[in-house]
Amino acid sequence: MATFDLQIVTPDGEFFDGPAERVICRAIDGDVCILPRHVPYVTALGIGEVRVTIDGKVRRAACSGGLLSVAKLNEVRLVASTFEWAEDIDHERAERARAGAEEAVRHAKDAAELELAKARLSRALVRLKVSQS
Amino acid sequence: MGSSMKDIKLRIKSVESTMQITKAMELVASSKLRRAKEQAERTRPYFNALHQTLADIAYSNTDFSSPYVAAREVKKTCYIVIAGDRGLAGGYNANVFKTAAAHMEGKNVCVLPIGKKSVEHAARRGWEVVSDAYAEAADVSLGDCAAAARMLCGKFRAGEFDELYVVYTNFVSMLSQQPAVMKILPLYYERAEGKNKAEALLLYEPSSEAVYNAIVPEYVAGLLYGALAESVASELGARRTAMDAASKNAGEMIDTLSLQYNRARQGAITQEITEIVGGANA
Repeated sequence: MATFDLQIVTPDGEFFDGPAERVICRAIDGDVCILPRHVPYVTALGIGEVRVTIDGKVRRAACSGGLLSVAKLNEVRLVASTFEWAEDIDHERAERARAGAEEAVRHAKDAAELELAKARLSRALVRLKVSQS
Repeated sequence: MGSSMKDIKLRIKSVESTMQITKAMELVASSKLRRAKEQAERTRPYFNALHQTLADIAYSNTDFSSPYVAAREVKKTCYIVIAGDRGLAGGYNANVFKTAAAHMEGKNVCVLPIGKKSVEHAARRGWEVVSDAYAEAADVSLGDCAAAARMLCGKFRAGEFDELYVVYTNFVSMLSQQPAVMKILPLYYERAEGKNKAEALLLYEPSSEAVYNAIVPEYVAGLLYGALAESVASELGARRTAMDAASKNAGEMIDTLSLQYNRARQGAITQEITEIVGGANA
């Protein structure tokens, strides 16, 4: 199958650099799927699940923030704020993070704080979902 | 003679205890440096990919509706000055401030200092300070960078300043650290000649403005975090070098003083013998 060069980087390092067949991720306005020979494209990423197809196998990950860009010549860059492969997620820690985030949502004092707490909660929920299945 | 021997002995003691401190500081800096260097190297691919992507976007951009890309008259310039929390790091802090001062010359500036020394320096120079919440350079997390970036982008959009630079120190190697100034906002890149316009066409989803508004604060946060990681590694590198030199100097000083001490002791003994011999002959 045709492939493209996928590079996944975050401030914590590089997570993937190599050929991939397909990547599905959550952009700010919904899910997008990138296949080989996509037109040059840029979008900002939301908080959600990422599925990368490498060699016919699907790898799942939790991802939040950042951007996805397709440059000409089949170069796809996923520059995320946070990114974690499903197998690297510590389920118990994710569960604790969810509890903590729910607490924060309940005790938020103003709109800005509530916004941050909600983002934290949705990140925790995505991580839980990805680690479970 | 007796009193000068005592003086020398005291000096040796004091230099020895100083050397113990400089040695300890060097060891601490070395072990921290290893971690900081790994951190700086881990963030580097992100830093580069982010910068490259934004450069590509800005390069092919034809829509200047977003305030982040529009060229505007520069009335005020904001500088993020990243320096250390402590002194005793050779010329590290001084070099950052010198570079910043040279770049600021003749401009109307405001400053976001990061690191205790930077906050103190800004206060001393009387620069207008945006926020002094980031007084601990070593403790600034990615979350703090994101908060700072959101605040800066908000101020930039509101027109409180028209340009944003970051002054930081590039970690070139263990022995060499280079202070540098980098322009962050507005995004503007020189267009190379002879590039095909059609090639540069780019699809934005949902719209270029929405994409910019979502990406740029993250971009600023990412650059800030990368610059910070480089600076922290540089500070430790500079401190290690400075402390290494100090320990060496202290060692040399102790050698010289020991020689003097032994000479004085020898002199005293010789004198005593001469006195005894003289006394016996009389």
